[in-house]
Amino acid sequence: MSEAIIKVENLCFQYPGRSVNALQDVNLEIAEGEFVALIGQNGSGKTTLIKHFNGLLKPSKGKVFVKGKDTTSLRTAELARSIGYVFQNPDHQIFAETVRDEIAFGPKNLGFSEERINSEIERVLKEMDLDVDLDEMPFQLSRGQRQRLAVASVLAMEPSILIIDEPTTGQDWKESILLMNLVQNLNDKGHTCIVTTHNMNLVSLFARRVIVMKSGNIFLDGATQDVFRREEELLTAGIKAPDVYLLARSLIPQVQLGKPLTPQRLAELLNTQSNLG
Amino acid sequence: MSKPIIVCSDLSFVYKDSKKPALKNVSFTISEGEFVGIIGPTGAGKSTLCWAINGVIPQIMQGKLKGSVEVKGKPSNKTPVDEISQIIGIVQQDAEAQLLMTDIEKEIVFPLENLSLPREEIHRRLEYVINLVNLDEERYRHPFYLSGGQKQRVAVAAALAMEPEVLILDEATSELDPVGAEEIHELAGRLKKEGKTIIMVEHNIDELAKHADRIIVMNQGEILRDGDAHEILTDVNFLQSLGIYPPQVTQTAFHLREAGWQFERLPLNLVEATQSISALRKSQ
Repeated sequence: MSEAIIKVENLCFQYPGRSVNALQDVNLEIAEGEFVALIGQNGSGKTTLIKHFNGLLKPSKGKVFVKGKDTTSLRTAELARSIGYVFQNPDHQIFAETVRDEIAFGPKNLGFSEERINSEIERVLKEMDLDVDLDEMPFQLSRGQRQRLAVASVLAMEPSILIIDEPTTGQDWKESILLMNLVQNLNDKGHTCIVTTHNMNLVSLFARRVIVMKSGNIFLDGATQDVFRREEELLTAGIKAPDVYLLARSLIPQVQLGKPLTPQRLAELLNTQSNLG
Repeated sequence: MSKPIIVCSDLSFVYKDSKKPALKNVSFTISEGEFVGIIGPTGAGKSTLCWAINGVIPQIMQGKLKGSVEVKGKPSNKTPVDEISQIIGIVQQDAEAQLLMTDIEKEIVFPLENLSLPREEIHRRLEYVINLVNLDEERYRHPFYLSGGQKQRVAVAAALAMEPEVLILDEATSELDPVGAEEIHELAGRLKKEGKTIIMVEHNIDELAKHADRIIVMNQGEILRDGDAHEILTDVNFLQSLGIYPPQVTQTAFHLREAGWQFERLPLNLVEATQSISALRKSQ
């Protein structure tokens, strides 16, 4: 296992004026290059936890390390260099008058040189397969292009960790899949990816590790296929395992899954089983 | 055949300052007691259609309307919205935006007081809906302290307290965790059994499949298909061509059928799938 890129030790957090801890003694390690889904009921603490990764919140107790550095010793702007946050809706993120300014904004704030910024722009446009004029107004681009521009402007800061907060809001399945495919490509190139979502079908298609939050603590943490087989425990955390796992449980309970289950994979397993039998 | 309650005839609508029609020649009839699911990609016109049914289009959101919608025989473009709201209740995605009072009970009672109903009648309706949505014990809590699912149930209760004959749920579960979403779908199923007409705009096909008996599929302002829920929701190729994710159990059976398994018809839910797949395994 490679070194932890995010490490959380005994983290507690209490919002001002509240009597209950929003996070209660959380311990967690995420290794470089992982693809993690963070799931849990509304109010379980997912967003509070993520805000500790990018330094928007600082622990009431305990410690959070990003790339080995204690987040209390870093400014949010410094953390932005390591952690990119992709908004669920590109139009909540895009604000500049031109494609160039949109992408340049982050790197400029990080103090990148003019020359470096220009090469970053070229690089991320290519990486996101965006063939657009740099002087074009972002709002004249198609929705798919705006989505890719939003991801591109986060990538221009060269973050090694990407956080994607609920990729389904305001989008249909097809649009969510497009965004997740982009994220998958970046994960293949070595970026660590953390996604929060209520859509378990998306989780089972993309994540290799699932962390379930419940009442401010980590309730389950493991390989996607193992977590989704613990259906009773999941229910107590407000999570329903995807139907393919429930179907697998009643039809092929003895089979070791080995990797996440999709409808196609379940069909293959059933088919092999019946040919053997 | 039961009585028609919503009749939509050759309806087209273009939003003010827009050139592209949001609805194009939409026609259908919904009868009392039906549970209709409306599905389709974003921009299909699903929400526009809901607003045209309750008169918000064109009375509040303006634009050019052709054709007609009749709600119990009343034209929705000319009948005052508050009159239609006594026939049609609507709950939207962001329930929080609809909640404005300091506790749940007040939230439900407030619109009833505005109708100048007698005290006893208000009390009767309050007790009925608050139990229906299972929030009896939370009644004095501030909506702010409720979970997302509870907030949505408050919004549903407030809509039901008006005793509408039709309940429209426009992506009312999209921001909820899976168990919260299931609660809303179960409630909708129970309301259908009590005789209410339900219209549900929904991306979550797995949940919709449990209770809907009819599906309307929209794309780019038009109705592509309108028919039996089982038939449409198991048409894997058709749904995928629209970028819609069919129920996982249906997809599993679809792949098995391609491998030669002979399903009489593709299953739509977990129970059907377990039964039909087990039966086929035994017979092989």
